[in-house]
Amino acid sequence: MDKRKSVWNVVPAGGVIGMVALVGIAMVPVLRPFLIYAALLVVAYTMYKYLVIIGEAEGRIKALKLPEKQIKVQPQGPSFQEVLRAIPDPVMIVAGIEPDDIAGRWIVFANTAAQGLFRMDGEGGLLVSTIRNPEVLECVDEALFGGISTSTFYDLAGGARDQIWRAYASPLPVTGPQRLALLTLRDETDARRMERMRADFLANASHELRTPLASLAGFIETLRGPAKDDEKAREKFLDIMATQAERMRRLIQDLLSLSRIELNEHVPPSGEADLTLAARDVVDSVSLMARDKGVSLIIRAPKPGLYPILGDRDQILQVVQNLVDNALKYAVRGSEVTVDIRYDLSLEQAVAGSNSGAARLVLLRPDRNVHDFYAQVTVRDAGPGIRREFLPRLAERFYRVEGQKSGDKLGTGLGLAIVKHIINRHRGGLVVESQSSVTSDAADVLERTPNEKVATLPAATPVTFTAFSACFPQARAYGLGADTPRLVISDGVSRDLKDAV
Amino acid sequence: MGAHIVKTYQEELDQLSAEVVLMGGLAEAQVADAVEAVARRDVGLAQSVVQRDHKLDELEKDVERKCIRLIALRQPMADDLRKTVAAMKLATSLERTGDLAKNIAKRAMVIAEAEPMTPLTRSIERMGKLVSSRLRDVLDAYKAGKLDLAQNVWASDTEVDEHYNSLFRELLTYMMGDPRTISACTHLLFMAKNLERIGDHATNMAEHIHYELTGEDYVEDRPKGNTLNSIE
Repeated sequence: MDKRKSVWNVVPAGGVIGMVALVGIAMVPVLRPFLIYAALLVVAYTMYKYLVIIGEAEGRIKALKLPEKQIKVQPQGPSFQEVLRAIPDPVMIVAGIEPDDIAGRWIVFANTAAQGLFRMDGEGGLLVSTIRNPEVLECVDEALFGGISTSTFYDLAGGARDQIWRAYASPLPVTGPQRLALLTLRDETDARRMERMRADFLANASHELRTPLASLAGFIETLRGPAKDDEKAREKFLDIMATQAERMRRLIQDLLSLSRIELNEHVPPSGEADLTLAARDVVDSVSLMARDKGVSLIIRAPKPGLYPILGDRDQILQVVQNLVDNALKYAVRGSEVTVDIRYDLSLEQAVAGSNSGAARLVLLRPDRNVHDFYAQVTVRDAGPGIRREFLPRLAERFYRVEGQKSGDKLGTGLGLAIVKHIINRHRGGLVVESQSSVTSDAADVLERTPNEKVATLPAATPVTFTAFSACFPQARAYGLGADTPRLVISDGVSRDLKDAV
Repeated sequence: MGAHIVKTYQEELDQLSAEVVLMGGLAEAQVADAVEAVARRDVGLAQSVVQRDHKLDELEKDVERKCIRLIALRQPMADDLRKTVAAMKLATSLERTGDLAKNIAKRAMVIAEAEPMTPLTRSIERMGKLVSSRLRDVLDAYKAGKLDLAQNVWASDTEVDEHYNSLFRELLTYMMGDPRTISACTHLLFMAKNLERIGDHATNMAEHIHYELTGEDYVEDRPKGNTLNSIE
């Protein structure tokens, strides 16, 4: 403001002196040459002064938009910007002028960490286009216009890849119309996750362990009392007790592994793994069990050892293991369980199902624009299938599809939850497809209503199946066409492998 | 009004979209908080959602005023006009989203007094997360002006429908099993419906963004999750 006023001070003052000089030129001829010089000097000085003031004002306006210039570089050594840029926590400097102009807050500086976190194009821009969380914006406003340092939790959601940050906003001392505030963020995901994990673990463990524990206690009671001397009953009861104890052990194991995976879910794995090898190892390890059940296991995949995917080998192995275990559990005697591995799929192809008629649901969708190519493993069984309305809850922990008996199927109800969390950590996707022989009630209604689509419904009971497709990002494209020779491994794993090679 | 800032036409347009993004952030937070209030039976949080709704209403009016002013004074053409119109439409959708979130919060206060129904509220939470993520994606698409992001939101509307149908069925089973839960289940059913409609608003917004960026309407039919059978 004062600068603008001084423009008006300088211009009239110069003008008045100039006028006096002009009058002098007219009235006193003797002084004419001297006065002309004086007038020229005054005019020149006035113009110089005017330009300086205007220049300063413009500089000020520029500084408003990019006050970066105000955080002046030190004469020697690194500048403050460089120091700030090197800080691992996201740091931003926000400027604002009017409290009423709600969208008028600019980021005038953002360090490398902040740019990475918010995928910013440069160091500047409007604040709302980077952070739109109302609580954080409120904190910034308070720092800018209230001069108070505050902090708030900031959920940086990205699907289940939630990150919890704490945002600190504090005012920076500045004179002039625009105000500056420092916004720093600190990652508190780990601490919060730990907290939640502990609570979840306790809740789950106490809830799920109660049933087997009650059963154990009941048998112990019986063995001490009525069945004390009954040899046959004792044997039988001990068998049941061993099964229950085994179930408890597996449950705790699964819960622990789930907790571990959840804890690292926001950190993508850094290594590379081979999907085909992982699948082969899994099939090797369960082939005996499959033979006992009379189920044949078939892998169709390109040769192993050539096409790495981005992932943690142990965890990829666990995904395939859990999916195959699941398939074996529901496969009927004499049927096939197939493991198909394909590479070079686009995101759309990776989450698209294979069969058009079956119910399909994307349980987990990979982030767009992160990876270009995905490798997919599809495990398919010819079991009874899952009805469409049960699909959305599949990967929920401890969820059991209605009417499914768990007696002979030894599951903890955590297998798919583990699969989903691992895939989420790998930034991959999970799709389930299923055809069930039991049509849902809703479909019955449809069949009775005249509808052209009814004609397309298969008349006979369709072949039931359930297929889970997990996809993982590839390290790069491999250019594998559909006609790439595929390795088929079935039943007697090693022998057929030799034949195929 | 302290300093004089020479506002250019471009700045005015930018500010308009910034304000819409701001509204979006608020709407997002409202939906997330409403769902959290349901999941955690948090009456206080639900109340604050209800109280905060007026902010969205005010912002909507503000955006509308600014749009009308801009149309009157600047007479925008072509993409500038589309940008203005899209901002106005998005603001309306976001305001409606906020209303639906408010309704969820109000119902959350009611069911917080009833017996906890953890499996059902967990389903609501799951659906809420899905809807929130769609809202987030569509706002990201708007902010970045990315067509493919918007199209992705538009194409994945069926997932929300699937969840809605599954939840609907679950609720029916519950109500048939125990008539005492009917009152609470009805509230949950309305919540699910509200979430489903928020999802529809996200799809609408994706359509507006498509219009803003290309100048063309979506000619295809919306990918509706077929609720009755498995034909796709």
